[in-house]
Amino acid sequence: MTIHPILQETPQEAGQTGDGAIHTAYDSTWATAQIPEQGPLGSEQYMLAEDKLFVVLAVVLIIWAGLALYLFRTDRKLARLERALEERS
Amino acid sequence: MHFTPNVNLPRYRVALYGVVVWMTLVILGGFLLDIPRINILEHTARNLYFHVPMWFTMLAASFVSGYQSYKVLKHNDLIHDIRAVEASRLGVLFGLMGLITGSVWARYTWYVGTPIWWNFDPKQSLAAIGVLIYGAYFVLRSSVDDPEKRARIAAVYNLFASSTLPFLLYVVPRQLDSLHPGAEGNPAFSDITHPIMRLVFYPAVIGFIGLFWVIYTQRVRAGVVEERIAQREEHG
Repeated sequence: MTIHPILQETPQEAGQTGDGAIHTAYDSTWATAQIPEQGPLGSEQYMLAEDKLFVVLAVVLIIWAGLALYLFRTDRKLARLERALEERS
Repeated sequence: MHFTPNVNLPRYRVALYGVVVWMTLVILGGFLLDIPRINILEHTARNLYFHVPMWFTMLAASFVSGYQSYKVLKHNDLIHDIRAVEASRLGVLFGLMGLITGSVWARYTWYVGTPIWWNFDPKQSLAAIGVLIYGAYFVLRSSVDDPEKRARIAAVYNLFASSTLPFLLYVVPRQLDSLHPGAEGNPAFSDITHPIMRLVFYPAVIGFIGLFWVIYTQRVRAGVVEERIAQREEHG
């Protein structure tokens, strides 16, 4: 089951650029279907603004959080190793 | 050859927490603050905060590795060899990331519609040569078995390698035709960058160098642990 069914391309639609967009069969329904009447609500109001820049920000923050976690984990592992070495000698 | 393992842990801890907080702020500022609307660049101008610090960090890494190599030759202590290697390793990593990010940025900003991923821009090509010069450092190291000899030979080469970088990355490209700011002797970065971008850019440079320092210290600690275990096995 697909949420967005694949569109049937008609000869005049295929490759036509009325609004500058490229139309292909795999386009999201937003490219050809009705644009929703009400504006974005809730978190979408923020995330979709500024050409969706904040989505990029979210991605970068997630990556950075992962890296920071890795740094802390390595730190703890090293501390454990150093402690074990001290106890041995 | 002596081996005096010494790592300043309290200073490192401060740096670790400081860098995590600092870089989070840099990332937030980099995306949330306004930037001047520039033709062609548009939002990619924000890459200034991430691509350029890669090179500042590589330069910083080369200073560290060069200095530690000098210390190897002066004090004959293995700890400096460990430090020189790890600094060089991270320098190459940041250099590679700088090359890749620069290539991707250029391809989709100035070379839209073309298949050009490498345009032989002087700064780009010379930076790649700089990374290769550092790569040769590791090849050299792997060719020598004796740790003492390896440390000294590698240190001599590293002094040469790290001294080439300022010329390759900064002095020479400014004299040549280039996509980068400051080419052909034109006003460089400071004269053409809007003040608000400097608000994030300078902290980003500091942050990435701090990040290098934290990872470098972690790797040095790991190298020290390895060396201590190796020496213990030797002495029984």
